[in-house]
Amino acid sequence: MTDRDMEQKLRSEAKALLEQGKVDGIIGFEDGSLKFTTTPLITSDKDDTSRLVINPFIVNNLSVYLTEVKGRVGIVAKGCDSRSIVSLLQDTKVAREDVVILGVPCRGIIDLGKVEKLVGKDRDEIDDITRDGDRVVVTVSGKEREFPIQEVLFDNCLGCELPTPQEYDILLGEPTLPASSGDKLVSQEKVNRLKEMTPEQRWEFWGGEFDRCIRCYACRNVCPACFCERCFVEETEPPWLLAVPRWQDNLLFQAVRNIHVAGRCTDCGECERACPVNIPLRSLTREMYGIVDELFHYQAGMDKDASPFLAAYEATDTGDFIR
Amino acid sequence: MTSTKKINKKHIAELLSQWSEEFTVFVPSRAKGVPKWARWDGEGASFLDWYRNTVVPPKAIFLPPMEEMFSFQKDGKDYRLELPASDKPKWLIFGIRPCDAKALAILDMTFKDAYEDLYYLSKRSSGLLVGLGCTNPYDSCFCTSLGSSPTDAANVDLMLTDIGDEFLVEAITDKGKELIARTNLAQAATEADEARAKEAKETASSKITRKIDTEGIGERLLSCFDDKDYWEKIAAKCISCGICTFLCPTCYCFDINDELVKNRGERFRSWDSCSFPIYTQMPMENPRQEKWRRLRQKVCHKFEFYLMNFNVIACTGCGRCVRLCPVNWDITQILDNLPKEQLKLEKC
Repeated sequence: MTDRDMEQKLRSEAKALLEQGKVDGIIGFEDGSLKFTTTPLITSDKDDTSRLVINPFIVNNLSVYLTEVKGRVGIVAKGCDSRSIVSLLQDTKVAREDVVILGVPCRGIIDLGKVEKLVGKDRDEIDDITRDGDRVVVTVSGKEREFPIQEVLFDNCLGCELPTPQEYDILLGEPTLPASSGDKLVSQEKVNRLKEMTPEQRWEFWGGEFDRCIRCYACRNVCPACFCERCFVEETEPPWLLAVPRWQDNLLFQAVRNIHVAGRCTDCGECERACPVNIPLRSLTREMYGIVDELFHYQAGMDKDASPFLAAYEATDTGDFIR
Repeated sequence: MTSTKKINKKHIAELLSQWSEEFTVFVPSRAKGVPKWARWDGEGASFLDWYRNTVVPPKAIFLPPMEEMFSFQKDGKDYRLELPASDKPKWLIFGIRPCDAKALAILDMTFKDAYEDLYYLSKRSSGLLVGLGCTNPYDSCFCTSLGSSPTDAANVDLMLTDIGDEFLVEAITDKGKELIARTNLAQAATEADEARAKEAKETASSKITRKIDTEGIGERLLSCFDDKDYWEKIAAKCISCGICTFLCPTCYCFDINDELVKNRGERFRSWDSCSFPIYTQMPMENPRQEKWRRLRQKVCHKFEFYLMNFNVIACTGCGRCVRLCPVNWDITQILDNLPKEQLKLEKC
């Protein structure tokens, strides 16, 4: 099934859901205002459903809107997004009956930053990007260049464990298989390089990275797992940390944010993608995800009936701090 | 012979070196992981190879993301205040784009208004802007809709236009004239050079395809101010982050915070954003709790209120907000689709 087929199915399913009153609104993607971009489409108008799209650029994790949109909604979800939805269900931030998941079996999302790097041009200087199976054809100034798809997909797509949503109401296409385990290594490489550093080197590295943080909070605001109504960073009495973008405070903000979303963060990569100053935030989320998996055998958003990782304990826990 | 000059691109590094003796020279730099303005490191002019525009606008030089306003020490019952050390160097920004130069002129209006903001003005007052016209504007740029162009020299001291191996150099102000007269690296431009520059300027302008209609924009915004449905609709996908405001070259809101350790501390000011739900929470409550009200404020401040107060739109069409928004919230679409039916003004 092609993206176009899925798109047609999505449009008719979404329209039907609205017409039959099964949902109050739809959250999906439409073409963006810039080349090779899509943008969230949040609508309750059935006529808008003809603008819904499915293509290799549907990058946003739309589940971030679930806690905000009122009523019952249909939501377009790739595998990774569906995990965020499941995590929200686990945390009772969203009720299962209030969401109709329109599942997209995903073959990976194209990272425009990688394409730009490969061809040495900015997004708007590229004429065309076409996915053709396992290859991608990039046209610049009339010249076509071909790359293996692996070279242009987002890092987290390369290690994707769940390209097809596990939790869905309507599946828009044939399920796709998880990436081969070898691809996971690609995703882990950046983290490993950091782990090989001495603590002093690492401190210096992150100091440099967080020195350019402007505290726009895009990382937090695109994050479906960051659902606190009031973030600790905004508390002033007492101030946990200063609201000014000093690197130490920036680093601490991100460290605490990371711990707050441990076991909720599905490592979807939205924080890193949204960051306007290129801080490699996914190295932090990836590591935290790995730690939770290794120590607690817990993967966020895989089982809607599981207790949320940070909100559960058992009397038989070996640590006695809880008793 | 004409009064304009030209300089070969391979002499730019030497020119920067000459100017560095007198000025703190700022150039576009990627050294800190994101394109922003940084002190020239004395190592060439390789930024000319990649520079289209910076992500962080030049306003950050004069209104930094954070700055110390003063430190204080409690002495018995009294407080002792101390201003931070400042050498107020003469500065020169090399390569500023016309949109960003115009943005500084727009910022000046606010900081020089009824209240003179010395933190901003003391840094801003003693310097020179060397503009560099765009040859390759982004598809998100829309400066031509705002009375400017990719090669507009209106707000700089010296203007450079790319004519191939050389830049045509036009002195716009007396300061600019003096600056270029002092270097031996520039030579007189020929009529052919000027013709090439004219062509380059026209080509650059024709590359700006994104347009907005600013005709009567203030009135049009006023007339749909109360159209809650429209604002709610366009606000739906906004995630209320600070990217579009922080990285806007004309947004200037700031917050003030104290850091206290025992009986001493510092007062900082840092960028703030009307997109944040907690904006202005400290003095009172944020009257714009709902997202659509905050979005409306952002749009109206730029295209209506600033126009009323200073007779200029506080947007220069640099396109940063369009390029950098993680959800592709596009101001040009918002302005394009303003409701046509005029609501009755009494409702506002």
